[in-house]
Amino acid sequence: MNYSNSNYITVFEQWEDQKKFFCFTEKDAENLQKLHTISAQSCDEVVESLYDHLLQFEDVRIFLSNPEMIKRLKESQKQYFLEMTAGDYGEAYYEKRINIGITHKRLGIPPRLYMGAYSYYVQLMLPKIYNHVDFDQKQAQELFLTFFKIINLDQELAISAYVHAVESVVMQQAEEIIAMSTPIMQIWDGIVVAPVIGTLDGQRTQQFMEQLLNQIVETKSTIALIDITGVPQIDTATAQHLIDTINAVRLLGSNVIITGIRPIIAQTLVHLGINLKEIITKPSMGAGLKVALDMLSIKTS
Amino acid sequence: MFLKTLSVVKIKNVLLVTVPDDPSDKMVYELQEQVLRSLEKHRSTGVILDISLVNVMDSFFARTIAETTQMVSLMSGMTVVAGMQPNVAITATELGLTLGTAFSALDVDQAFEILNKALS
Repeated sequence: MNYSNSNYITVFEQWEDQKKFFCFTEKDAENLQKLHTISAQSCDEVVESLYDHLLQFEDVRIFLSNPEMIKRLKESQKQYFLEMTAGDYGEAYYEKRINIGITHKRLGIPPRLYMGAYSYYVQLMLPKIYNHVDFDQKQAQELFLTFFKIINLDQELAISAYVHAVESVVMQQAEEIIAMSTPIMQIWDGIVVAPVIGTLDGQRTQQFMEQLLNQIVETKSTIALIDITGVPQIDTATAQHLIDTINAVRLLGSNVIITGIRPIIAQTLVHLGINLKEIITKPSMGAGLKVALDMLSIKTS
Repeated sequence: MFLKTLSVVKIKNVLLVTVPDDPSDKMVYELQEQVLRSLEKHRSTGVILDISLVNVMDSFFARTIAETTQMVSLMSGMTVVAGMQPNVAITATELGLTLGTAFSALDVDQAFEILNKALS
């Protein structure tokens, strides 16, 4: 999978660095394999205990209401738990951890729940490592530290994948909003209307301008009504973008009428010293349309 | 396919100048010369610069149009620039290029209308 468009996710190319960053060495990988017997023996017990613990909480029971689902989750939880000590921390391991974060986001499970699960793992494994007959105090300490590192690495991957999943939703919505908020339509022979909704930033202006100019050329319209009723607040940047758009329209050979100037907008324009003198401005779309029809000498009865 | 040379055609009292798709600086300069000479010869009152083929406009071209408009106006003529492409208009605004006092029109048809209205 390619996550290069995200700012937050740890991409696979960074995974090796990430391990170094967490001081996770080859030695740690070996150490974890030593723990594999313990994990294999106790994975049933650990997972059962984890779910008993989790299901004490009201809000967890809301997510985990279906017994079939719990059974499935326990199975994958065991798998997950065993993989932590399997000794292979390459691409497959990475992919799996990333997918867990994304899946949790999709199911709507809040991150605090699975972060809690990690903490619970640590609590359960600590006595098992320290009380094991094969390890003395020093070894146990080293092994536990290793276990703690892999838990930390797993958490980081899951959380960054989670944030990535949230981020992609936000990005997708932003694109949809942009596409939705600039409809341009011809309302009369020679007149197009372009309502602007929301603030005009650089990227939106570009798109708005392109659509408006193309529509003007396509419909051979000599008048463009730009309605800014939907613009909540105007600042110097927005005003400049608006002026740029107007200049571009004029270069094509069309005229612009700005409509929907609300009192607050008029006040801000004057306070900011923005000069719209050479542009026809009207308070309402109706008034603007009337001017446009007059300019085209179209009689309405 | 595309024009490689400038064409200046007299239609009644109007000069119709068609600019090729990617005019060189030399050709732009020539455009000014030819327009002014034809204006003198035919005593035309209006000039239409059809730039619908032009897909790249640089600052020299823009400035020459602005200057030519002023010169034409000194010789009591009126200039209309017709058919600028949307992407050219966007780039021009971004670069802050203007056509000075030249009128603009969506196409040659509308340019004629503007001239007829203004000159009648």
